[in-house]
Amino acid sequence: MHRCVYDYVRANEQGRPEAFDVARYDLSEEEREAFEDRDVAAFYQLGLHGVLLNRYCREIGYSRDDYRAILQPFAVVEERRGRWQS
Amino acid sequence: MAELVLAACSSHAPMMASAREAATREQQEVFFGALAHLREEVDERGVTTMVILSNEHFTNFFLESFPQVCVGVGERNRGPAEPWLGIEQGWIEGNPELGGFLTAGLLAEGLDPAFSHRLDMDHGIMTVYQELDPQHRTKLIPIVQNCAVPPLMPLARSWDLGVALRRAIDAYPGDERVAVIAAGGLSHWVGTPRVGDIDEEFDRWFLERLEAGEVRSILDMPDEEIALAGNGAHEIRSWVAVAAAASSDPASPAPATVLAYAAVEPWITGMGVVEFP
Repeated sequence: MHRCVYDYVRANEQGRPEAFDVARYDLSEEEREAFEDRDVAAFYQLGLHGVLLNRYCREIGYSRDDYRAILQPFAVVEERRGRWQS
Repeated sequence: MAELVLAACSSHAPMMASAREAATREQQEVFFGALAHLREEVDERGVTTMVILSNEHFTNFFLESFPQVCVGVGERNRGPAEPWLGIEQGWIEGNPELGGFLTAGLLAEGLDPAFSHRLDMDHGIMTVYQELDPQHRTKLIPIVQNCAVPPLMPLARSWDLGVALRRAIDAYPGDERVAVIAAGGLSHWVGTPRVGDIDEEFDRWFLERLEAGEVRSILDMPDEEIALAGNGAHEIRSWVAVAAAASSDPASPAPATVLAYAAVEPWITGMGVVEFP
């Protein structure tokens, strides 16, 4: 999945989308559906790395505010505290 | 002999180049004013080569092979990788002699960096390099670090990297005036439900540690704790390395001067700039 999304983003960033073919990747059914549906929430739940998710969202035209709203249902209240937190 | 003539750290964010005007005028004046000061220092101190440390954002390496540190030893490297960044793409002259010497020096000190004869430099390095040398005339040795894909180099190891880097620079027999620059952080979240948040309390606390010359007191921070300031906060590794490199005696870390800090929400990042004496 990571390689698939990475190659998709890179091909489009480099202006050669024809170089990408999703059929080349050994994706699970969930992963393939997420890709075909451009389902950012599904990618997040499937564990796509944040840096790649950010780049993918940019590539498909989502602003950070857009994808923050999509991901909000998955936000977890952090109970741990760092040593800098008063 | 080579001489380290400038050590400094700056946050990076793609939007500082691509959406510069999205920050308030005051934020722009504070942040870019500090970088303009560093640019003057680069000129006045006659820097001949910049060594810039920054995060690897899946630009050169992917999950099949992901080094913790990679030194750009090529005659030239290309950047920026992002055509939309607002910085003209092109080749930047490297310094293969010094880059190779630094790599060998790190190996001799027990670090095991990868090396590359051709790195693609993304916003991580190019946004800061652009501000310090808009004409791209200064030779550039990029050092990319893994600040994103676990397992990450521990913070203490990043300190060791900086110590070893300084020793290698000091030992270089060539006539170079070297600037060592960190480009990354401070707090930010990328690709998570918290994208857009900034932990200003963390940023100011970290900057205070740098000002006090107390970075060594936080080298025990585990990644789980750093991540509380965002998955992008792991990029403080570059700052820690430069803090170590800033002093010829790692037992007496140089206290930094904070030149700027602004929590720039449109750039989703705590934007700081520090300089070491």
